[in-house]
Amino acid sequence: MGKQTWKERIPTFASTLGLLVLIAAYYIIGAIRDANVAYGLKAVVNQSVVVALVATGAVFIYTLGSFDISLGAATGVSALLGAMAYNATGSLIVMFLVCIGVAVVIGFINSSLASVFNLPIFVTTVAMMSVLSAFMLILIGWNGAGDTIKVKARDVRPLDNIPFKVSMLVAYIALCWFIFTLLPTGREAKFIGGNPICAKLSGIDEKKLAIIASLISAVGIGLGAFLTIVYAPTLNKDTASSIGMDVIIAIVFGGMPVSGGPRSRILSAVVGAFSMGFLSQIMSMLNLGSGFGQMIKAAIFLLVVFIALGSQRSKLLTR
Amino acid sequence: MKKPSLIRNLLLSLLIPCTVFLVLEMIAFAKGVRLFANADSWKLFFRAVANVTLTTFALSINLDSGRFDFSLGAVSMLSATVAGTLAQQWSIGPWLTLIVAIAVAALLGLVHGGVYVLTRIPPIIVSLGMALFFEGCAFAYTGGKGVSLVTRTDIIGFSRIGNYILVTVIAVSLIVLLFDYTRFGADYRALLSGQKIAVETGIREVGNALGCYAVSGALMGVVGFISLANTGSQQMSLNFGSIGIMFTAFLPMFIGGWIGRYINKRVGIMLGAVSMALISLAYARFDTASSVQSIISALLLVLFLIYLNNEYAILSRFRKKQEIKE
Repeated sequence: MGKQTWKERIPTFASTLGLLVLIAAYYIIGAIRDANVAYGLKAVVNQSVVVALVATGAVFIYTLGSFDISLGAATGVSALLGAMAYNATGSLIVMFLVCIGVAVVIGFINSSLASVFNLPIFVTTVAMMSVLSAFMLILIGWNGAGDTIKVKARDVRPLDNIPFKVSMLVAYIALCWFIFTLLPTGREAKFIGGNPICAKLSGIDEKKLAIIASLISAVGIGLGAFLTIVYAPTLNKDTASSIGMDVIIAIVFGGMPVSGGPRSRILSAVVGAFSMGFLSQIMSMLNLGSGFGQMIKAAIFLLVVFIALGSQRSKLLTR
Repeated sequence: MKKPSLIRNLLLSLLIPCTVFLVLEMIAFAKGVRLFANADSWKLFFRAVANVTLTTFALSINLDSGRFDFSLGAVSMLSATVAGTLAQQWSIGPWLTLIVAIAVAALLGLVHGGVYVLTRIPPIIVSLGMALFFEGCAFAYTGGKGVSLVTRTDIIGFSRIGNYILVTVIAVSLIVLLFDYTRFGADYRALLSGQKIAVETGIREVGNALGCYAVSGALMGVVGFISLANTGSQQMSLNFGSIGIMFTAFLPMFIGGWIGRYINKRVGIMLGAVSMALISLAYARFDTASSVQSIISALLLVLFLIYLNNEYAILSRFRKKQEIKE
């Protein structure tokens, strides 16, 4: 095999390059507009860290060639139950454990349903999303305190700081990277995503891996739910509702193929989540308005994915 | 081999809608209410049939070819927004507004398809980008205010049972004609069953895909107009707020697939939509809370999928029991 030219290498680094360009653009536009760059940076981290946590875990699911649209609703339910547990006990540790525990139970139900009954995972997660969103409404109704479930802001304020959030994200990424890169689980997941028939014939248990992937992802959802409460302690029916789609966008933006397989990378999720965060912040600095801002965001998203695809385009239309 | 009779096929294809109707009638009887109590019930039913049928067609046209489309709701929203605004500015009547909505939606579908075939990005990803883009366009076009046609009694007056039936029958007939009796439909089916061979035999895949996106878009234009005429307004959504409409189409699509074994698949989808519309009517008549509605619909979807994906195992177990009894 010959040496790759720089043109051939661009797609590999397109996402990381995209993030670097966005960071540079953020500082340049911030300087021109005389914006409070440090404050904006804090907003980027606060917005991106939850998406990055959920998306990092979701990489395991996507690597298998699966798809989960219920991640946002799962985060919302975990956060609501975590907040209710805190209000009942006054313990942040209980809140943390409930967030993780609920997410794990949801992940287990999701993956078991799909594995045991051979259901298409995407439709299962669509159904799960409806159930979980409805469950959020029921939980808020049960709580009997209007349209929200609140945790006292002063109780969680000590944790609402960037070093705590970033260290939680780094620890989770390190754990996922270890499992994904150094343990057989990651290799087997890539194998299944790349060639499911061959992987099955080689003795890899697809159902077992689907459950493991969901459980690893559930830990990310639980952590995301915990940080959601810390950042915005007044929760309502829309809490974390956009995370499910943000995760898909982040993973794709980060350069991971949505079909999974050997090109999957743990860091894609982080690169994508922070790229989206910087992009949103740039849009608000430019004061373009929500509509135009979203149009430009969509165009940049498609452009980055287009570049990242590189020479992988086939003659036939992709399906 | 003995050919299955037409009557048997007809009975099997009506099995699900009839069962749904009977079960719901029994529940209604037990609750002391009537499913079709007044003209409003009929209107709600036929509106649901029209919306669900057209959305399911729009989804399945591309999904059957492996092209998932998240942008259906956004196309419906943007086309209704443009058509509603023009109706207000030019004082055009309901039918012309409907035609404008269809034309705009077909154009949006074509743009979506164009981006897909030019970039060769996987369709699900393109649809995410296009959903965001169209939502942004609608928001920017109206400044986030949406469209209000509450003073346009002629457009609101479109919401009549006769119009719903007319629109549904025309759309289903055109879809059956296009996909079952034209060269386009034959190419579509060939690409569906063997993409590589079909392309190698000279079928124009790009043109066919563009056509599918345009037809799918046009159908969502009708859905958008029906919603606009019914509520007299079009609200804006951002950040994928428009994708919910797509999820109503999954259950009828799978039911349609099952019925399609016994009758034309397109008719199967319509019968699936009728079943779904009966359920929607029942939710309204029984005053079911929206959270409970979501849970019941999701459970029905999962239960039906469990049956579909394990049909062979379930039926063979059932047959074994029969044999043991005999």
